Amino acid sequence: MIFKTIISGVIKEAIAKKIFIGFFILSTLIILGFLAFVGFDSVEGIATMAGDDIKQLVIGFEGFMLGVSYLLLITFCLIGVSSIIPSMLEKGNVDLLLSKPVSRGQIILGKFTGGLLLIFLSLVYLIGAVWLIVSIKFGYWNPTFLMSIIMLTFSFAVIYSLVIFIGITTQSSVLSIIINIFLIFLICPLLANRETVLFQFITNNVVQFIINFFYYVLPKPSDLQTITVKIISGEKIDSWQPVVTSALFLITFLSASIYIFKKKDY
Amino acid sequence: MEVISTKNLKKEYKGSGFSKERITALKNFSFTVNEGDIFGLLGPNGAGKTTLVKILLGIVYPTEGDASIFGESIKNEKYKTKIGYLPENHKFPNYLTGEQVLHYFGMLSGLSNAQVKSRSDEYLKIVDMEKWKKTKIKKYSKGMMQRLGIAQAMINEPDLIFLDEPTDGVDPIGRKEIRDILIGLKDKGKTIFLNSHLLSEIELICNKVAILNKGELIKEGTIDEITSTGNKHVFTTSDLSDDVINILLNQYFATLHGKNEFIVNSDSAESLNTVIDILRKNNVNILSLTKEKNTLENMFINLIEQQN
Repeated sequence: MIFKTIISGVIKEAIAKKIFIGFFILSTLIILGFLAFVGFDSVEGIATMAGDDIKQLVIGFEGFMLGVSYLLLITFCLIGVSSIIPSMLEKGNVDLLLSKPVSRGQIILGKFTGGLLLIFLSLVYLIGAVWLIVSIKFGYWNPTFLMSIIMLTFSFAVIYSLVIFIGITTQSSVLSIIINIFLIFLICPLLANRETVLFQFITNNVVQFIINFFYYVLPKPSDLQTITVKIISGEKIDSWQPVVTSALFLITFLSASIYIFKKKDY
Repeated sequence: MEVISTKNLKKEYKGSGFSKERITALKNFSFTVNEGDIFGLLGPNGAGKTTLVKILLGIVYPTEGDASIFGESIKNEKYKTKIGYLPENHKFPNYLTGEQVLHYFGMLSGLSNAQVKSRSDEYLKIVDMEKWKKTKIKKYSKGMMQRLGIAQAMINEPDLIFLDEPTDGVDPIGRKEIRDILIGLKDKGKTIFLNSHLLSEIELICNKVAILNKGELIKEGTIDEITSTGNKHVFTTSDLSDDVINILLNQYFATLHGKNEFIVNSDSAESLNTVIDILRKNNVNILSLTKEKNTLENMFINLIEQQN
């Protein structure tokens, strides 16, 4: 019951901060826009011309929406959850929370689960609606597209574990956003393409080893995105390594956050 | 029954930045609070009061020593179901209404949904906040927030309540109402641990106090024990004749305050009665006889000045 209260507290807080209402409104506009788009005569024509290739057309639309959802997720949800831990740690708030019969580990796990549940529900709304529109419109039902909800939630869980860690150690939501944006849009894509981009300029084995080390240690949003696209289109997944190493990153940072929170005086 | 007991509690904090210096907030602090006490903790800023309360609530960890609440070590979180806490400058989520605040913290205290619903109206009524229960707390005044904070601290019907500056920002009428609530809780057998700067208030409510300075316990006892000045008795009488004044000065080493008041240091009822006999024999009317007491504020200031 206490755990459930912490989770519902996170959801209420996020709704009160209006970031997720923004996400919901924008998602609704995207859904309506998409609905209007697929109703255009030109799209109808493309669908008729596609014939047996309708599957590819549907996967194309879904892949595009996956990219849009990912961008929305990063911008809105990252901002939405980044203040959860710093606001919890404010004087007068954390004291009261810690005086309740709830363990510190439970508090962090509750905040984590609450944030994830919120992201999951937001994605169910956006991706679920797009899936329904595309499927009804083109008559091709691709249930694997719904797997992207799980994959995107997982991608976000990895990022969120870092958000929580930075929140616990620095109590700064701004720093958390900056570091994550830097990682997601610069460092991780560079590391994911290290062989085709970085190693063209860096030939030193030691430096290459260090770059490889960071690739395996850090989360891999770009690789997870690639895997998600492959799942949607029914392609074979070459390696699950990005999922496994990202999961290890998540576990490590979440455990470290709980450990630090348990040891700290407030 | 001992509700709170600490043994040689010590707390050291790291100095700021890269300094290796350790700041001692509490030094070998041992004390007990008994069931049904309204216990007041006094001390100047930085004395270690908040650190002590936070250690007892598991918010801060002691460097050395141990503490127990209801006989259980504070390392075990179980005791927290039996306590209530109102922190100084508490921050409730401002997007909630008064009713929702009680619901949220009641549930966090381990109550069921039904328990919270039935109790929140009762406690909002006690703190006179019933008509504001549907209003978002960001619209509340400081006094209203304090009242809500007290209701929050009581929602799980705790046996021990920690209140940090409960009347901070509350007007005199509101203070009186809060005092009445606390006395009502004491009558129900609850133990209250009060941390306040308002010494007059502590004097009015508390039956036991402890004075902390620089992390050390410098005095502990009942209000009477702490404010007592020994065996000095103040007589207020009708006009004293010169003969009586001479007797009082020479035989009883009295201190005169004009012709109608004097103080006698008397360590027994017998010697006190002898003074009364002399006065009566000389046709002096005794208007009042009281044991001289210091105010808590004077005592506190003297003690702290001596220490510093």
